[in-house]
Amino acid sequence: MKSLSSKRPVACLAALAVVVAVSACAEPEGGTGDKDRSGSASGQIVIDTTFDVKTIDPGREYEPTGQILVKGLYDTLLTFADEDTTKVVPDLATYMANEELTEYTLTLEEGRVFSDGEPVTADDVVFSLERLQGLKGNPAFLLDGVSVEKIDDATVKLTTAESAPALPAILATPSLGILNSKVVKDHGGATDDSDTAEEFLNGNSAGSGPYVLEKLDVSSEAILAKNEKYNGPQKATYDRVILRNTEPATQKMNVERGDSQVALGLSGDMAESLAPGVKIESVPSATVVFLLVNADPAVSDLTSKPDLVKAIKAGVDYDGLLEIAGLGAAQATGLVPSVFLGALDEGDALKYDPDAAKAAVAAAGAEGQPITLSFPNDIDPTGLNMTTLAERLQSQLGKVGLNVKLAPAPFATEIDAYRSGTEQIGLWYWNPDYMDPANYLAFGPGETVGLRSGWPEGANAAIEQLVSAGYTTGDETERQKVFEQWGKAMNAESPFVPLLQPGSNVAYQPSVTGVHYNPVWLINVAGLGAN
Amino acid sequence: MAPSTRSEDGPLTAGGDQAAPRPGRAGHQSAPSRQGPQNHPNRADGIGKRSLTGRLWRRLPKGIRTPVGLIAAVVALAWIAMCLFGAQVAPHDPLAQELPRFTPPGSTAWLGTDELGRDVLSRILSGARVTIGLALALVVMSMVVGSLLGLVAGYFGRWVDETVMRFTDLVMAFPTVILAMVTAAALGASLFNAVLAALVVSWPQYARVVRSMVLSLRTSEFVASGRLLGFSPARSIRLDILPNVSGPTLVLASLDIGTAALLLSGLSFLGLGAKPPTPEWGSMVSSAVQHFDKWWLGVFPGLAILTVVISFNFLGDALRDAFDPEAGEA
Repeated sequence: MKSLSSKRPVACLAALAVVVAVSACAEPEGGTGDKDRSGSASGQIVIDTTFDVKTIDPGREYEPTGQILVKGLYDTLLTFADEDTTKVVPDLATYMANEELTEYTLTLEEGRVFSDGEPVTADDVVFSLERLQGLKGNPAFLLDGVSVEKIDDATVKLTTAESAPALPAILATPSLGILNSKVVKDHGGATDDSDTAEEFLNGNSAGSGPYVLEKLDVSSEAILAKNEKYNGPQKATYDRVILRNTEPATQKMNVERGDSQVALGLSGDMAESLAPGVKIESVPSATVVFLLVNADPAVSDLTSKPDLVKAIKAGVDYDGLLEIAGLGAAQATGLVPSVFLGALDEGDALKYDPDAAKAAVAAAGAEGQPITLSFPNDIDPTGLNMTTLAERLQSQLGKVGLNVKLAPAPFATEIDAYRSGTEQIGLWYWNPDYMDPANYLAFGPGETVGLRSGWPEGANAAIEQLVSAGYTTGDETERQKVFEQWGKAMNAESPFVPLLQPGSNVAYQPSVTGVHYNPVWLINVAGLGAN
Repeated sequence: MAPSTRSEDGPLTAGGDQAAPRPGRAGHQSAPSRQGPQNHPNRADGIGKRSLTGRLWRRLPKGIRTPVGLIAAVVALAWIAMCLFGAQVAPHDPLAQELPRFTPPGSTAWLGTDELGRDVLSRILSGARVTIGLALALVVMSMVVGSLLGLVAGYFGRWVDETVMRFTDLVMAFPTVILAMVTAAALGASLFNAVLAALVVSWPQYARVVRSMVLSLRTSEFVASGRLLGFSPARSIRLDILPNVSGPTLVLASLDIGTAALLLSGLSFLGLGAKPPTPEWGSMVSSAVQHFDKWWLGVFPGLAILTVVISFNFLGDALRDAFDPEAGEA
């Protein structure tokens, strides 16, 4: 017995030692945390977001979190300035286009280097773009029909069969980041599907961007470190950028307590109740939530009546929708979101007019007739709950005499009905693929999204003419005019009802500067500064 | 409590002895004391002699005479009343989006308002009809289906029994909630389909209980003598067996109401039941998850589910005590 009891103090001491050791280990981390709290003293910034990333191989990635990371690691040929999302500016190259907008000549800036110090050459550009096409991954559609040709060491020519006014904006997409062809080839890179460089690129970066990859865990965190060799225009402020996968509610707490400096995933409702002392960048996102009212009589006799579309357009109380969308949300003036060239003014937006709506319901003979409103109920674009929105719409349309039945379904099943154009009324949203209004021409008659609403080619000659003008006009002021005309015609005559743009809410500590929302890459980590 | 007082039950006890219960109503009155499979014959004092109704009458008040039982009975009765009149009592239209959003509980709305400015109290009260009403419907349906299969299996035995009971085992082998979810998902989201899905998983227990009771009743003397008198199986089941299994089955059903309410609101919580904007408690809790800093959105519908489940369970217990003298007096 004695020997046993005499062991106890030893055990206690051992336990104590473990505790001390653990807390000692923990302290340095807590220490850096404290430094973070006092600003950028440690040169490190912590960003909380909800992870949606499968890979950060530029040729393969097309998820929101992947875009943030790839934007920081890889420079693109052209880009958008942080503050202005309507105008393409040079990054690794400048460009010239021919009159028909079928040939783009890109001249590389002098002296730009990759993170290993090697210069960026035309070979790297050709390799990167052809690799994106050859991998046939998610972003490959961006360069459909584009052929890439090297002219000399500093010049590359892109050619398309039809005019491509959106190509410069497409070239600014992070997926089109320029890879160090030598390094990637050494690790299995190729320009067809024999490529095996994905694994390498998920553990290392091979770009010329302001940051290099230190660590990536697709389920928990990503760490970027400053690229010491970077010699472009946007030098990194922070030595390290840490992106953490965090639940939105936790994000809110973290940024309020100073455990993180930036929170990207707050919903409009959360942003409204943010603690004082935390700054917020709250703007309408480029996501447009819309209703499609199927024009195909085979799908519904009722919704295919133009009067019914009119009734819905006038029967929605747009301000009443904004109320449930929370901070930052705005009415979508048209299908093209407010941050793009060619977006309509507020005055051109659809207006709530209950009397006109009631008259149109009567004209369509739709009073009390059941109409089904289908929507995906397990996703919330930019923090907006689709079920809540659908319930509000049902209630609003009920007031003008429409009997709307809600049909929620999981995204995975409802997307088929949407794509095959069999929904009577669908509640959906559109995230821009690239930052150009040409992306939205897909809503035209006979185009991809138009067909989903039962709107075939030849349904509206005037709009179709504007669509083709949208695809071919190069001059910027002309283009703007064309898109505005198109937008107004769509508001008046299309079977689509643009509803709202949910808010994009980025909460950040006052020590951080340069927080700007971007529709494609959300936030430019290299653009973040400290004061 | 003294056994002697029981004689005042009068005419209903006329059948008297459990050995005697033969054709007709007499069997209905005294046979259940014999041995439902759920009986635990570890106490001797309650055996025999009392009519079903008499026992019910006597035991029910006793079962709820404890504070917990009394509260449970009152709550359960209140919910049943809400089920009938909830929509009329509700201060607002449960679908009207008129009040300011996210009003905390107070004078504007006693239990606050939700993300669309609807009154939470009105939604809970109107939701009683949906949740409890469907739970009752579900219990009745599974009782009918399960009992019928159990009666047939137990009475006819042999291959009929084998077939029915192996099928019952098959269904019981699946985890309840998962099987219900799969069925509901396959049928598509609607309240009716949710009830069907729940029915698929909830009938087997009735089949089992009824079958085992029938097995023992079948060999009892009064059933045998009925057969000797030339009763057809249908008549034998109707007159001799059914009356003797109905009591315990009803007790089982009453215990099941809470579980049924929970299962149905669970399916709605997962988006497999009620469609918006139906005020269903499970879907109310589900939408509250997205606004968990607004505590009243989830707490009140959650409490509604909790109180329904608990009160109906206690009520079921009280009923069981009334029907089952041996287990009841502990």
